[in-house]
Amino acid sequence: MMEEEKFELLAMDFLAGAMNEADAKAFEELLLNNLGYKERFLALKEGWAMMDAMESPEPSNRMDGAFYEMLNVEMEQQKTKTSNGQLPAWLTDLIKPQWAFGMLLLIVGLTLGYFLAPSVGSRPELQDMVIAQNETEEVRQKLVLTLLDQPSANQRLQGVSEANKCQSADSIVIKALLQTLNRDTDVNVRLAAIESLTNYVDNPMVRQGLVQSIPNQESPLLQITLANLMVALQEKASIAPFRQLLKEKQLDTTVKKRIEKTIESII
Amino acid sequence: MKLQNLTDNVLMMKVKSGDLDKLGLLYERHKRKLFGFFYNLGNNPSVSEDLVQNVFVRILKYRESYSGDGAFAAWMFRMARNVNNDHHKKISKEKISDGIAPEDVMEGSDDGLNETMDQQGDAIRLKRALTFLPDDKREILLLSKYRELKFHEIAQIVGCSEGAAKVRVHRALNDLRKIFLEMEML
Repeated sequence: MMEEEKFELLAMDFLAGAMNEADAKAFEELLLNNLGYKERFLALKEGWAMMDAMESPEPSNRMDGAFYEMLNVEMEQQKTKTSNGQLPAWLTDLIKPQWAFGMLLLIVGLTLGYFLAPSVGSRPELQDMVIAQNETEEVRQKLVLTLLDQPSANQRLQGVSEANKCQSADSIVIKALLQTLNRDTDVNVRLAAIESLTNYVDNPMVRQGLVQSIPNQESPLLQITLANLMVALQEKASIAPFRQLLKEKQLDTTVKKRIEKTIESII
Repeated sequence: MKLQNLTDNVLMMKVKSGDLDKLGLLYERHKRKLFGFFYNLGNNPSVSEDLVQNVFVRILKYRESYSGDGAFAAWMFRMARNVNNDHHKKISKEKISDGIAPEDVMEGSDDGLNETMDQQGDAIRLKRALTFLPDDKREILLLSKYRELKFHEIAQIVGCSEGAAKVRVHRALNDLRKIFLEMEML
C-alpha cells in the first residue's frame, strides 16, 4: 500500500490531466489492481463532477453599467492629466500630406481594380473578382509599406493595423513589420508589430525574425511580450538570444526573472 | 493558435502602460467566473456583483504592480480572495452578519435571481452542501473549479505548497461528496 498522501497527490494529478502518459498509465494500472483505490478514486471523480455541475446565476446589467461607468470616469481623469492643449490627434493626421498620399494610393488602386476587371470580358466572373481582390491586396500592401515609413507614430500604427487586414502578407510586408519591430522608436508601434506578426507564426521567416529581434528590445514590456510569445510557441531557438539578453547589466529584475522562467519552460 | 493566457497578460500590460480601454476586454472575459466565485462562496447576487466591481477597481488601482509574471487569472483571483476577505471582515466589524451562517445569507437573499432553479433538486442540495464546508475548503474548491489555474498558482493564492494544495482539494472534494450524500439520506 502506498502512503495516503501520495495517493491523494496522484489522484489529483490524474483527474486534472496533469500527468504524463507513462505516469497516467501506471496510475490506471494501480486502480485496476486495487479495488480499494479504485473505489476511492471513483468517489473523488464524483465530487469533481459535482463541482463541474455547480452553477451560478447570471450577473445583472447593473454590474456592467457600474463597471463601465467606473472605467469611463478613470479614463476621463487620465485624459485630463495628459491633455496639453494641442490640436486633437485626428485633426493633425488629416492635415499631414503623407496620410493624404496613402489614401490617394488606396483610391487609385481600388479604381484601377474596378475598371480593369470588366475589360477582361472573356474570363468568368469569379476570375474577375479574384483579380480585383488581388489588386486590392496589392494596393493595401503598398499602403502598409508607405504608412510604416511615416515619421508619425500614429500613422505607423495605422500601417500595422492595415497589415492586419491583409489576407496573406507577402515577404515584403513581413520584412517591413520585422524591421518595424527592430527599429521603430515607439514602443506601442513595436508592440503592435508583434501582435500583427503573431498572425503568421506558421511562417518560418516570421518565427526566425521574432527570435532575432529579442536582443534588439530594450523596453521591458516588449521583452516580456516576446518571452510570453516564445513560451506559447515553445520556440527553442529563442533560448540563446534570451541568454544573451540576461547578460545585460541594465536588465529590469522582473524581466530577468521572467526570462529565466521562459528559458526553463522552453527547455 | 489559441493564446488566451498570452493575450490576457498582454492586455493587462497595456492597461498598465495607460491603455485603460483594454480593461473592458478583461472584464468581459472574466466577469462571470468572478461572479460565480463570490456567489458560491456564500455571498448573495447583489453583494457578489459589488465584489466583482471591487476587484476591477483594485486592478486599476494596483496596475503598476502587475509584472506579467505568471497567469493574469492567478493575479486576479488573488485580488478576488482579498476583496472577499476584506468584505467579510468589514461586515463582521459592523456586526451586520453576527451569527449568520453563509447558507442563511444565501437563503435570505431577496434578489430573486436564480431562485426558481434553486428551489429544487440536486442543485440546491449541492449548494447547501458547499456551505457546510469550512471557508478554506470551499475557497480552494472554487479556485480549482475554473481549471484556468494550475495547482502551483492555487498554492500561491492560498499560501501553501503545490502538494498541499492538491491534497487540500482532494480532501475537500471527498468532504463535499460525503455531506451531499448525507443530506440525500435526510
